[in-house]
Amino acid sequence: MPHEDPAAPLRVGIIGTGGISRAHTPGWIETGAELHCHSLEGADAFAETFGATVHATLEELLAAVDVVDVCTPTPVHAEIVHQALDAGKDVVCEKPLALTTEDARSVVEHAQRVGRTLFPAHVVRFFPQYAAAQRAVETGAIGQIAVLRFERTGSFPTQPWFGDESQSGGIVMDQMIHDIDQAIWLAGPVERVYAQQSISSETDTVRTAHAVLTHVGGAISHCRGLWGAPGTQFRYTFDLAGDAGRLQYDSAGDPGVVFDEVATQRQSTGDGFLPDVSGMRSPYAEEILEFAAALTSGGPSRVSAADGAYAVEVSRAALESLRTGRSITC
Amino acid sequence: MLTASPTTGTLKIALMSCAHTHAGAYASRLEAKADIDLVVADPDGYGDVQGTRLVGSYQEAWNAWPDGPDAIVVTSANAHHKDLVLEAARRGVHVLCEKPLATNIADAEAMVAACREAGVVLMTAFPVHFAPAAEALRAAVADGALGEVIGITGTNNGKLPDTRAWFTDVELAGGGSLVDHTVHIAEILDSIFGEPATVHATVNRILWADRAGEGAETGGLVTLTYSSGLVATIDCSWSQPADAPTWGGLRIQAVGTGGQLQVDAFAEHVGGHGQWLAYGVDSDSALLEAFLGAVRSGATAEPSGDVGLRTVRVVAAAQESVRSGQPVELASI
Repeated sequence: MPHEDPAAPLRVGIIGTGGISRAHTPGWIETGAELHCHSLEGADAFAETFGATVHATLEELLAAVDVVDVCTPTPVHAEIVHQALDAGKDVVCEKPLALTTEDARSVVEHAQRVGRTLFPAHVVRFFPQYAAAQRAVETGAIGQIAVLRFERTGSFPTQPWFGDESQSGGIVMDQMIHDIDQAIWLAGPVERVYAQQSISSETDTVRTAHAVLTHVGGAISHCRGLWGAPGTQFRYTFDLAGDAGRLQYDSAGDPGVVFDEVATQRQSTGDGFLPDVSGMRSPYAEEILEFAAALTSGGPSRVSAADGAYAVEVSRAALESLRTGRSITC
Repeated sequence: MLTASPTTGTLKIALMSCAHTHAGAYASRLEAKADIDLVVADPDGYGDVQGTRLVGSYQEAWNAWPDGPDAIVVTSANAHHKDLVLEAARRGVHVLCEKPLATNIADAEAMVAACREAGVVLMTAFPVHFAPAAEALRAAVADGALGEVIGITGTNNGKLPDTRAWFTDVELAGGGSLVDHTVHIAEILDSIFGEPATVHATVNRILWADRAGEGAETGGLVTLTYSSGLVATIDCSWSQPADAPTWGGLRIQAVGTGGQLQVDAFAEHVGGHGQWLAYGVDSDSALLEAFLGAVRSGATAEPSGDVGLRTVRVVAAAQESVRSGQPVELASI
């Protein structure tokens, strides 16, 4: 729903000031938003860096803003989104929208009921490589899409809660959900999911998951997630085969800026958890700008609340497959 | 019955059928060798394997020498492998059989058993077994460079052979891309990790739909699990576009606690717009050399008929998974 007074700066409340909030905030600053924040820890440092007003309680923050951006750990997403919707706020929520399908559907229905907008921050839809591929597939550049492959590779997240399946949903719900969402974006709804996970017996921070999706429209997708050994560089690839062509991308083979071995040793190589987006227009900024424009002027957005809930639903099916060893019908 | 093959001197070899697209590659390499006397049977009259002694029937090939061939290379349509291999065993003739070894487990078991009982060599034609990329993967796992290997992603994508209609004839081929392309990577994984515990597969018929019809699958994803916990997925799709400059390729990515390794068995080439000039180790020659060595020594070598059978079992489990929609225990197949 368009913001009431388009002339006034949007008042945005960042809830949770950990890693992902620092990726979102430059986008809000670019829109000219007035920043507020609330967090169980780190709010003062965040406010100092970005020039935000700190609120001691969530209620106080909600009273001071038009929109909230939920950047907390996943388990409390749904609860905070409900509170923000109850307070009449539009909401941006980091993915996954919630840990369970029920919670995800519940926040979507709540937003619809109260007539507020809820955007799940599926940032990969805003990466220029994926956006270009999606446009090409949509316009028939590779014909009918048939076999899709996605890989996402990173280091184990630094915050220990990510490793706790009950907190983060593990690698499937936290990392692979990006590619599950891509598969859905490109090839439509999913009929069934089969998933397997392998966790190193030496160190449980090294783990990989494979999910195979059979789409209602007939296409099949393979998503491969990896939290690799310490020092693993972030990498993402896709391969989309249709009956009239093929699209392939590999972030490790992107030749825009290439340091040789000597120079590489002198470069900061990032944390390996979030992708290095320094060589492109920040997809996080792209995402926030699109959300902000949709909120203030009713513009379109490429991702809806229902998309966020559906990505959770399919990811939960993958987790159920991991648990049971069976193929799960969605 | 079994006559000892000459350990030196000329070997008499019959290449049985030109139905498989690999027949030409094997024929030209064997023909080029001074110590091989080659006869090629082309009973279907494909007519595109040239520069050699051609005969129009299997019988003529069996009878091309007074005491028959020392060995045969079977490059018929998949469903016809069995009869040729059983006949070779009956005659005491060594066999290199194109992959997949057979279109079902019973045939493959009969072929392996017959050759074992006859005391003849049976090898399955997996050229990629000899690619330096496959050797690099085996070595990296064996020497611990990758630490504990937890995941494998393999892709064996190709064009659908356009001069051989039988590849999409389920009766003759045994299936589609699931049958044609799963076994190469399955063999390499078998040589490193042994047999998988479970097999799951999902397929479709969107690519080359006009040829696939209601029968042969053209796209497929096969997921294997191992008792160690290792998970491997093979993309066996015929997803190489028809106008690509090369037939396709085979890649395997292995991930472990010691890092990641990606191998590409067909990476070596000089490229350019629409160009693909392959170079590097000739895996077909390496395969044939291994077979000829086995024939001369009388001792079979890898990739054996046994691994051919084990990979047929993986394909059969994948097909059962497609039917049931659920993963299949390999032991139940």
